[in-house]
Amino acid sequence: MGGANGARSEPDLRVDIGRVTLANPTVAASGCYNRGAEFSRIVDIAAYGAITLKSITREPRLGNAMPRIVLTPSGMLNAIGLQGPGIDYFVEHEAPKLAGVPTVVIASVAGFTVGEFVDVAARMDGLPGIAAIELDVSCPNVDSEGECFAVDPRATDAVLAAVKRRVKLPIIAKLTPNVADIRPIARAAEEAGADAISLINSLRGMAIDVERTRPALANGTGGLTGPAIRPVAVYQIWETAQTVKVPIIGMGGIETGIDAIELMLAGASAVAIGTANFRNPTVAAQVAAALAAEAGRRGFASVRALTGLANPGFAGARWPADRRPNPVGARP
Amino acid sequence: MGSETPVLTTATLISREQVAPGFWYLGFRCPAIARDASPASYIALDVPGPFSVRLPLGIWTTSDDEFSLLFREWGDRTRRLAHLSVGSQVSCIGPLGNQFTIPARGSRAIIVAGGIGVVPFWLLARDLRTAGVKVSAIVGARTKDMLAGVESLRELGLDVRVCTDDGSEGEKATAIDALRTTGPVDMIYGCGPPGMLRALCRHAVEARTACEISMEETFGCSLGTCWGCVVPVRRGCPQGTGYPPSPRDSRTYDYARVCSDGTVFAAADVMWLEAV
Repeated sequence: MGGANGARSEPDLRVDIGRVTLANPTVAASGCYNRGAEFSRIVDIAAYGAITLKSITREPRLGNAMPRIVLTPSGMLNAIGLQGPGIDYFVEHEAPKLAGVPTVVIASVAGFTVGEFVDVAARMDGLPGIAAIELDVSCPNVDSEGECFAVDPRATDAVLAAVKRRVKLPIIAKLTPNVADIRPIARAAEEAGADAISLINSLRGMAIDVERTRPALANGTGGLTGPAIRPVAVYQIWETAQTVKVPIIGMGGIETGIDAIELMLAGASAVAIGTANFRNPTVAAQVAAALAAEAGRRGFASVRALTGLANPGFAGARWPADRRPNPVGARP
Repeated sequence: MGSETPVLTTATLISREQVAPGFWYLGFRCPAIARDASPASYIALDVPGPFSVRLPLGIWTTSDDEFSLLFREWGDRTRRLAHLSVGSQVSCIGPLGNQFTIPARGSRAIIVAGGIGVVPFWLLARDLRTAGVKVSAIVGARTKDMLAGVESLRELGLDVRVCTDDGSEGEKATAIDALRTTGPVDMIYGCGPPGMLRALCRHAVEARTACEISMEETFGCSLGTCWGCVVPVRRGCPQGTGYPPSPRDSRTYDYARVCSDGTVFAAADVMWLEAV
């Protein structure tokens, strides 16, 4: 324990996602934080190392009919339908406000064709205040009978490679857990140039309104989030971390510091928090503090040493799990 | 101006009482919320249990450092809330939501509440009377057992007409039937089940009477980030997104978030197009 070294300095909380450095490993997950303004009314959102914006599409989208949310055991199902203003309105009215966001901003792009991903990502490239772009390749691909891009390595490659050719900002591929094997998808994303991978997106699910004898969501199916999906996230992060070298932003059901540590130990370099913000708006600060305490407890100089610590097949570059240097005058 | 200053804070449960079968009155001490609440304000409570989202509930009354909730036990979160012991501390965000419009001194207003939809109207009735507005109320419910809050409104000095669908208390009529037999007013306020609100909005638009309703939905974040609780509104409605129309979407309306653009909407702005 740290006591043997007698060190008192706090562990370094910074982590790197590609060439972007975050002040701490916590990231607000896309779709749960809009553009940051709403949570700013009640908490300091600078507690997050980064926030991911709600996804932007090329055209404006009204989204799905109601109901869009149904509460389920230890989680919730949602089918919002990517409601949003479209890239033109975003660039004109919303992007100018991002310079005032007190932490790193990751934009999120959703598309239904390769061309839409490229167009929207290219418009975001170079906008002040945006540090990286996440591609929500979990969307249905209208060129392929609505099958989601990220269930097919070739479709994943097509999106990533096309965007990487046009865009200078670091690109994060957000993968869906709704696949039999995540590894070929993750490999395709990395080989196509993804600077990082984020997972897991929501798990597809469904609930029936028993009283009305019809699906509870107007859309029929929805995405399951919350602690119910955390074991799926841990498993898929574990598998992905054995497959790719790029950093992983792990997410799926994080509510507490212990949950975040679990995802880091499986192989995540950073952790995204979504649904838990709704119940606990101060979750980011609590998770960051818990990660610092865990690294400190193990005598690590950096939280980066937690990444993949439980995963013997971790394929990325391990941060040395160094003990802190002895303070001057301490006996060996 | 509660809606501008929500806080994340802790409230202490100081009293609890079952006021009718399944209907609960809980009193909380929480100065930050009690002093800022206005009519239609609600709070988002972190009810202990395996729940992913907070429970939004309208504020019933306030007094100095205290506020109260009046709610119907309906699902796990309300059941757990109803059975907290006095002295419990609960995390709350509030006051949330926008406010009703208060008309000019001397105007006539009527409140139309369905069942537990009475909740926003204690604070509203108090404020209307302070503002010199002549106000009365109609409270309707399916049966006598589904009525709550009537005596508290009467204690404010309000003339309250009670009606039930089965005639088990007051008139055997719906709240809207009762409204049709009242004299003209300058403003109608409504809160209740969606079917009642839809009929109320239709009545108000036909009668060319200004009308505001407080709506309910399943909320995710309660802050406006998740877009889970939208209501179809007239395009151009000030509470809508204002986003340009989608070229590939035949829907001609806009959406507004009930949690943060509302919960109060003008009757003429709400489009009753989706399942009620």
